[in-house]
Amino acid sequence: MNSTLSDAAFWSRFQFGFTLTYHYLFPQLTMGLAWFLVYWKWRALRTGDEKYNDAVRFWAKIFGLNFAVGVVTGIPMEFQFGTNWAGFSRYAGGVIGQTLAMEGMFAFFLESAFIGALIWGEKRLGPRYHFMAAVAVALGSWISGFFILVTNAFMQHPAGYGVEADGSLGITSLGSYLLNPWALVQFAHNQLAALVTGSFVVTAVGAFYTLRGRHPVQARLYLRAGTVVGLIASMLVAFPTGDQQAKMVGNHQPVTLAAMEGRFVGGPMAGVAVIGQPNVAARRLDNPIEIPGALSFLAYGTLQSYVHGLQEYPEATWPDNIELLYYSFHLMITLGTLFILLMAYAGFQNWRGRLETSTGLLWVLMLAFPFPYIANTLGWMTAELGRQPWLVYGLFRTGQGYSKVVSSGDTIFTLIGFIGLYFMLGLLFLYLVGREIGSGPDDDVRVDPGDLQAAREVPVRGKVPAP
Amino acid sequence: MIPIWYGVVAFMLIAYVILDGRNFGAGMLHWLVAKTPEERRQVIAAIGPLWSWHEVWLVGFGGALLAVFPRLMASAFAGYYLALFLILWCLILRGISIEVGGHINDRQWQGFWDFVFVVSNVLLAILFGAAAGNLARGVPLDAEGNFSMAFFTDFSVRGNVGLLDWYTVSVAVFSVVILAAHGATYLTLKTEGPVHDRSRQYARFLWAAVVPLFLLISFESSVVRPDLPARAVANPFCWLGVLVILGSAITLISGLSTSRETRAFVGSNFLLAGLLAAGGAALYPVMLHSTLAPENSLTAYTVAASPRALVIASMWWPVGFTLAIAYFVFISRRYRGKVSVQRDTQGFY
Repeated sequence: MNSTLSDAAFWSRFQFGFTLTYHYLFPQLTMGLAWFLVYWKWRALRTGDEKYNDAVRFWAKIFGLNFAVGVVTGIPMEFQFGTNWAGFSRYAGGVIGQTLAMEGMFAFFLESAFIGALIWGEKRLGPRYHFMAAVAVALGSWISGFFILVTNAFMQHPAGYGVEADGSLGITSLGSYLLNPWALVQFAHNQLAALVTGSFVVTAVGAFYTLRGRHPVQARLYLRAGTVVGLIASMLVAFPTGDQQAKMVGNHQPVTLAAMEGRFVGGPMAGVAVIGQPNVAARRLDNPIEIPGALSFLAYGTLQSYVHGLQEYPEATWPDNIELLYYSFHLMITLGTLFILLMAYAGFQNWRGRLETSTGLLWVLMLAFPFPYIANTLGWMTAELGRQPWLVYGLFRTGQGYSKVVSSGDTIFTLIGFIGLYFMLGLLFLYLVGREIGSGPDDDVRVDPGDLQAAREVPVRGKVPAP
Repeated sequence: MIPIWYGVVAFMLIAYVILDGRNFGAGMLHWLVAKTPEERRQVIAAIGPLWSWHEVWLVGFGGALLAVFPRLMASAFAGYYLALFLILWCLILRGISIEVGGHINDRQWQGFWDFVFVVSNVLLAILFGAAAGNLARGVPLDAEGNFSMAFFTDFSVRGNVGLLDWYTVSVAVFSVVILAAHGATYLTLKTEGPVHDRSRQYARFLWAAVVPLFLLISFESSVVRPDLPARAVANPFCWLGVLVILGSAITLISGLSTSRETRAFVGSNFLLAGLLAAGGAALYPVMLHSTLAPENSLTAYTVAASPRALVIASMWWPVGFTLAIAYFVFISRRYRGKVSVQRDTQGFY
């Protein structure tokens, strides 16, 4: 990193990185969990089995807390484009503003209109509309993800723009901007990764109840749905979407691919390092253990394909933190591989009918839920560190984008505020979600679904014995 | 295209102020109109299921500003740096207090979140009021279209101004009173029992207080910006705003005096919209006035994105807007009528 600790650009980057990383812990669960709610609500409509409604009511409470923190931590993101990245807004606002504005109009209005109704409005809406509310919220959260990924894809691989008379960028084609091939691949990869997070969380709660012998019907539902979705999603994250993403980087950002792999010298039969520490000063990877030819094959299709090395490019175009980029990428791949193995084993035990009795496996499943969050974060670190030193790849450098009128003192002040506020939010969130999981689904307390009128008089969580 | 987009962006901001203004108002009056825990839940339930939909108008406004007037967003947001983050933090605390307050049925827990709810709403009304005052008064824009502003300098309204001076503070006071009146009118419509009766009294008292404050603010504005009255008279949209203000004031007064609650609330909404629209029309085409030199001011024409960007945005915006209204109508119809704590409270009941 060319910046120092007294550099205003560094603190603007740090604040954006911190607030964005923290924010994205929440939407990834929202986007992953939303389709579980839709599925259970649909099963409840189709079968009339009340266990599906119990599952929706329980998870809707956790969903709501998660959604609320996602909303309040998301609003500062949009405003920071203006506050901390005024240079970038002046330069590219005429393009990226389109998708940020569309996100508000097409995604946030949809999500926010129905979220209250989904969580608290079952009695106001009735079963059919309640199902529709679940669909609306799920769609809204994915549409929102799409617009953000289009925005990011423009920064990675600009499309659909022209240069205006004053040197800034203007949009020329909405179609090629929205259908940027980079955006489509990144969207698929990212959404599947969100489903991995959702399925690991659902599985973990199922494993927890099974181990404690509580809520057996609900626990089975969560374990079953969580492990099936978890296996499918973790496989699809790696192949084809992750594979395509890496090829995209290889074709359009070859210097980034070289940095991700810590390759300083180009050549055929390029390997993928299993272990190794990049030593940028010495221009080599220390203590490498490599799979020969793997990188050539994965990035360009044959073992003999030529993979570029960092030394073929001027140093001014190297990502400015090669070490962190290398570790982010490698840890993401390692975790992704472990997710497939774990979920495949869980699926195998489930097929043998032994999932609920494999205590060791249940412990692992219960404790595994933080790792998809880590893998998602590492994936985004790979994308964003890999894009450096550019803010808009090949066009506009990060050092040109920050707000020159905002002093380091101002940015550090607001950064401290965010750290304090978000620390408190995190504690609050963990406490409340822990509390909900502790009290568990109300599967022993039934609200008669056939009698909506009577249900209106029944307290939602009052202790009314089952009929 | 540029005047139309000035109107659209202004419309989104006005919609936000009207919609979230009722929540600010209800929040400020929370302790005054609701005394028992049950009554306080009633106020939260009245804000209920749509507060985040209201907040999306602010996000939509921010997005539209970046898409259509990127240079304004760059100048203004960087210049208002600290004030804007204070607003964002208050919005975070306000949203969290609504969502988590009802999660635990405990007096101490709810008392704490009620406190956060009231304080953040009061601060938001003050901060948005001061921001409106800043828009009218202008900011110390230099020749490159940049500014960086302290919270306060010497409290004068010319030259190197700060965020707070005698004028912006009085606009902030006006904002607190009128938004509280708006919130009280809303609570009268949505609640029953003691909360309803107290809200009704507050609404009458607060709307009566709005009148002298409004006259004072109008006078002050003509002193701070002597060019504004002439511009306002020349702009037909300003006259339209004045007509809306008159019509809605009559509607509001007749609604309040005959206890027709829907009528009063409709009047209250249009009154706020008329005031803001008249103000926005008087400022046009200047979006950010410079207190240092008038030629440094940023107009809609100097900050707009490329014509192509405006055309593209004009194609999708009406679609998004129609959908947004459709969702709102659907949900509002489902939640029509007085709130009931049994049915609508977000939480443990």
